[in-house]
Amino acid sequence: MAGIWMRFHELIRGARLDGELDDEVGLHLQMMEEEFRRRGMSEAEARAAARREFGGVAHAKEAYRDQRGFPRLESFAKDVRYALRGLRRSPGFTAAAVVSLALGIGANTAIFSLFHTLMLRMLPVAHAEQLVAIHRTGGWGTGTVSLPLYREIAGRADLFNGVLATGGVAKVRFVAAAGGRDEFAQQEFVSGNYFQVLGIQPVIGRLFTGEDNRVPGGHPLAVLSYDLWRNRFGADPAVLGRNVIVDEQLLTVIGVAAPGFHGVAPERHTDIWVPAMMTHFGQAMSPNMWWLMPLARVRPDVPVQRVRAALDVLMQQHLRTIYGRSYDSAMRKKAIEQRLEIREGSVGLSMLREHFGKPLGVLLALVALVLLAACINVANLLLARGAARQKEIAMRLSLGATRARLVRQALTETLLIAAAGTAVGIGLAACGVRVIASFLPEEAGNPFSSAPDLPVLGFTIAISAASALLFGLGPALRSTAVNPAAGLRSGGLDRAGRPMLRRVLVVAQVAFSVVLVAMAGLFGHSLLAMRSVDLGFRNQSVIAFSLDLPRLWKGNLRQAQDQLMKTLAATPGIYSVSCAFPGLFGGGSSDATIRVPGSERTAMEPVDVDVAKIAPRYFETIGAALKGREFDRNDTATSPKVAVVNEAFVREFLPGEAHPETRWLSFDDSKPEGGSRTSIVGVVRDIRQDGIQQKIAPRVYTPFGQGDDPTFPPDTLVRTALPLAAVRAAVLRELPKLGAGTAVAEWGTVRQRIDDSIFETRLLATLGGFFGVLALLLAAVGLYGVMSYGMAKRAGEIGIRMALGARRADVVGMVLGDALLLVAAGLILGFPLAWAAARAVHSLLFGIAAVDPLAFGGTGAVLIVVALGAAFLPARRAASIDPMRALRHE
Amino acid sequence: MSTREAKTDILQGTLDLMVLRTLATMGAQHGFGLAQRIQQISGGMLDLNQGTLYPALLRLEHRGWIRSRWGVSGNNRRAKFYEITAAGRRQVERESEDWARTVAIMDRFERLTEME
Repeated sequence: MAGIWMRFHELIRGARLDGELDDEVGLHLQMMEEEFRRRGMSEAEARAAARREFGGVAHAKEAYRDQRGFPRLESFAKDVRYALRGLRRSPGFTAAAVVSLALGIGANTAIFSLFHTLMLRMLPVAHAEQLVAIHRTGGWGTGTVSLPLYREIAGRADLFNGVLATGGVAKVRFVAAAGGRDEFAQQEFVSGNYFQVLGIQPVIGRLFTGEDNRVPGGHPLAVLSYDLWRNRFGADPAVLGRNVIVDEQLLTVIGVAAPGFHGVAPERHTDIWVPAMMTHFGQAMSPNMWWLMPLARVRPDVPVQRVRAALDVLMQQHLRTIYGRSYDSAMRKKAIEQRLEIREGSVGLSMLREHFGKPLGVLLALVALVLLAACINVANLLLARGAARQKEIAMRLSLGATRARLVRQALTETLLIAAAGTAVGIGLAACGVRVIASFLPEEAGNPFSSAPDLPVLGFTIAISAASALLFGLGPALRSTAVNPAAGLRSGGLDRAGRPMLRRVLVVAQVAFSVVLVAMAGLFGHSLLAMRSVDLGFRNQSVIAFSLDLPRLWKGNLRQAQDQLMKTLAATPGIYSVSCAFPGLFGGGSSDATIRVPGSERTAMEPVDVDVAKIAPRYFETIGAALKGREFDRNDTATSPKVAVVNEAFVREFLPGEAHPETRWLSFDDSKPEGGSRTSIVGVVRDIRQDGIQQKIAPRVYTPFGQGDDPTFPPDTLVRTALPLAAVRAAVLRELPKLGAGTAVAEWGTVRQRIDDSIFETRLLATLGGFFGVLALLLAAVGLYGVMSYGMAKRAGEIGIRMALGARRADVVGMVLGDALLLVAAGLILGFPLAWAAARAVHSLLFGIAAVDPLAFGGTGAVLIVVALGAAFLPARRAASIDPMRALRHE
Repeated sequence: MSTREAKTDILQGTLDLMVLRTLATMGAQHGFGLAQRIQQISGGMLDLNQGTLYPALLRLEHRGWIRSRWGVSGNNRRAKFYEITAAGRRQVERESEDWARTVAIMDRFERLTEME
């Protein structure tokens, strides 16, 4: 112990101790001299003898100092100081290395943090690895099951040690105390056994049991998350038994869940759990209402194969019981084709993962390539630096420095570069995450952890360390492999004279760029293809929103909607106002079975078609071409029933009919010839209103003013030249007149909704493009470096050529040709890689082939242009060499 | 030069024992004094670079076997004096035993050669 304190003391007081050592050694020599003088030597002899007896004074002192303090630490500190000095001396190199590394590490960290949350992070529950998600495929929507089906699955104790169900997480209004103000909270409807199956304990109070989820509407209970309890209730234990209002229901708080548990969806944070029986769905018990997602704990003794087979049987029996006698054969077929899939459940249930998981994986792979390219870039810069320092290194070797020491010093430098790159990269990652977040639609949830994630930080440090080793070790070994004698001779660049390694690295860089640029091209082209899909309507800047009405609202929806539209239509600057359900890119669907008299298609049995209720001027507002007439204010509940159909409807039911507006259809499907008439008054172009990739299907539009009262607030659509905020203000002014508690939901332009619907493609194209540009920049820097270095090496040769009559154009051509050679090698290596990558991402592309000529041809062209650009400066420099000067230098 | 050939290089690790033993019997010494004593005791048979003494002293101090302090030498000069600690004395005992054992073993081998 005393030794360590002494060493610390030595570490801190190094300079003073140096002085003491000098004194001590000086005294020793002096005493020796005196001793020798006493024996009769002359002063000079005595001094020489003393020195001889003592041995090397400097050596002794050095050996002493080497032992003092913490020798390794001190030599490391010395290396760090030395490296810092060196880096400060060449700011261009330092900046290039740190920035390229920071971009690579930052991009990786940002993508990985998202990937980790969505794909890798285990639920914080006991034995998460036993969990499986039971996922319905086919039919209507995917993922969810009905309550009766869930009960059948949950009853299979021979397969599962418990099956929970969740209705998903939704943002709802929340009042923490009676009379308190309205806030928002994330609510999750869950089965009674939810917490038991997951093995979550309460912090205070109790959690739900099966008894708390028996009777529809009969369990007004709530469990709070630890975070909500702490942030909103100050962690007050008196919260138990208190009443809160959640989505307009009065609930009693019975407990608080363990800290760190936020529900089973990685991209959401549940604040309040409520028994599923408290749902507002009128048809919650119906076998046709798909709204629950099951998560099951598989019995350890049951192989997954058996679970899968058992679920297949269960599902088939279930579907046949319910749909077996359905008279609509198309619907029967669609229903019976549904299946239950077993999926990994340890990472939770995520809707976002469903469609964003694969793009995220692709991004992670691309970003790894970017980091590799960045590492190669830094390695190349280091090699160039090493070559420039050969003389210095040769000098130090000949002065007695060991190679190991020099390698250690070089590695210290790379360590500093990596550390700086990591620090800057973590900052960049924060920006990157914000950029990605701006692409995600609000309803996608929030997969970004607010607190720094330890595994993510670990990942970042690991990739930084791996990169440092990757780009640092080679150059360190290479640049210290110098023969001191040869290195000190003039010129002294014999080994670096053939920068073969650097050329190979540049070729690799070009190959990576080919992959990244080709991917950027594919995703960019794919996005363009999506953008150019004809949606059937022109006015994407139309503002869309819907009324958000309190559940206890007693007004008449149709009247309120009409009043709102009337007020808005009278506002100056607003051209037209309409409404529709379902609207544009707003989700929601509505269908009905019809007969079309005279159509063979419905002669035998009625057919299910999409329907929409629209107000007057709908097609004018959204800019859709129409033959015939739109609905107007005369189409009321008492006037004759009318409909507008789309072109697909005519193709399907009235093929070859020149005047569809003379025909009629019937929503009364009991008789082949139909019941009450609904006259077709117009034919509108096919409108893709649910998504760009939506398949065109027959649709019937009916007037908002006719038929049953609407059950959901429709999409209100406003065509205007006013800014969004002005329209919003007009809407907010009108809201109080419609009743207390009314609000606006899903506010924005239709263009924003379309963007949200293709956010994965937009993100892939944007980030892919960014990575592609980054890779090109790195490749350009690499090429430029190698070309100008090669130029400097060959200055003498070029001088001779020019003296012998070569023209400037020849010299330029020679250098450019050399650059093209490197790019050609990179292209030859890169294209097969890019082709393989393109095949892997094929399912993410829209409207183009995996081997897209535009993307691949463009990649080749871009790389050649970049290569020529990067080589142009060195080429011009080469061409302006003065032959006399170059030869004299030689 | 001829005397030099008769001198023996210090065996690895034996310098520590020499220093400790000298300090244990002679009391506190400064560096030069210690070097003189070692040379005297060895009868001038050792080829000791006196400079190597200082790293050795630091090493022993790190281990807590000796300690140092600045004092005044015989002719009124400031010098650093080294003295053995209690731990150092224990170490001397241990090493002396080891050394005796090693010598005894080597001795047996030497005699074996004589017998042949």
